[in-house]
Amino acid sequence: MRFSHLLRHGALAGAVAGVSAASVLWLVVEPVIRRALAVEDARPSHEHAHEELVTRGQQVVAGILTAGIVGVLFGVAFAVVFAKARHRLPGRTDQGRVAVLAAIGYAVFILLPALTVPANPPSVGDPDTVTRRTLLYLLTILVGALLAGLLFAADRWLGGRVGRDAVRRTAVVLLGAAAVTALLVVMPAPDPIPGDVPAALIWDFRMASLAQLAAMWGALGLVFGLLVDQEEATVREPVAV
Amino acid sequence: MAAPSSAAATPLSPVVVPLWAWALLALALFGVYLLLQENGALLTQAQAGYLHELTHDARHALGVPCH
Repeated sequence: MRFSHLLRHGALAGAVAGVSAASVLWLVVEPVIRRALAVEDARPSHEHAHEELVTRGQQVVAGILTAGIVGVLFGVAFAVVFAKARHRLPGRTDQGRVAVLAAIGYAVFILLPALTVPANPPSVGDPDTVTRRTLLYLLTILVGALLAGLLFAADRWLGGRVGRDAVRRTAVVLLGAAAVTALLVVMPAPDPIPGDVPAALIWDFRMASLAQLAAMWGALGLVFGLLVDQEEATVREPVAV
Repeated sequence: MAAPSSAAATPLSPVVVPLWAWALLALALFGVYLLLQENGALLTQAQAGYLHELTHDARHALGVPCH
């Protein structure tokens, strides 16, 4: 398996992931953002609207483009990590190995920070705490990535000592669950939600955000897996004319 | 005996990852940082503010902490 091919597949799969994410952003997330902006506009203190740098229309278009570019960038990064990790990932096929890596990526980059610093719509964040929240968010991802590596190492270490696969896998999952629980207990809570923001708005926004990110990582894993499997198939059976 | 029953029939040989691939990985992650996280650590306040407002909807939607 050539690295340059994997990279090409990653960029293409990332582009599809970006388009998927941008579509869900436009169709699912934007309506919720509009509801949040209405809450913000209703505030008497909402004076900084006069010094707006960009229009709402520009924000929507640029937001969609940003989601698309982020998809491509993640696709490229995914290809590099997959190339390095391929021979160590569990799974009988390349599609299976890609799915495992995409699931780990979604858990580390999306689900874990969604638990410690959940996504919030506009009108919630306190500008004074954005640096602290960003650090907690990045720290969560870093801990998650280290934990994923540690669990793989633990799996290999136990492999030589525990005879039965089922026992080993159970031990590794329990270890991961204990570590995540500890992380959630240790992490301080982010900002409180202001009283004028309805709970339904927060819930809808977080679900929409997770849906968008699931679309991104799902498309990335599916398309990359398909392309890599296609390449494997042509290598196995060279031109069956 | 610890035969890993989940292993593939033929062990996979590692893919040769060239050195520049790691630079590319760093560049991709840096791009994600610029688009989603930059709030004035690298750019001037004015530039960062403009970038922040421009990428605002995507930052919120992608779950990144935002103002």
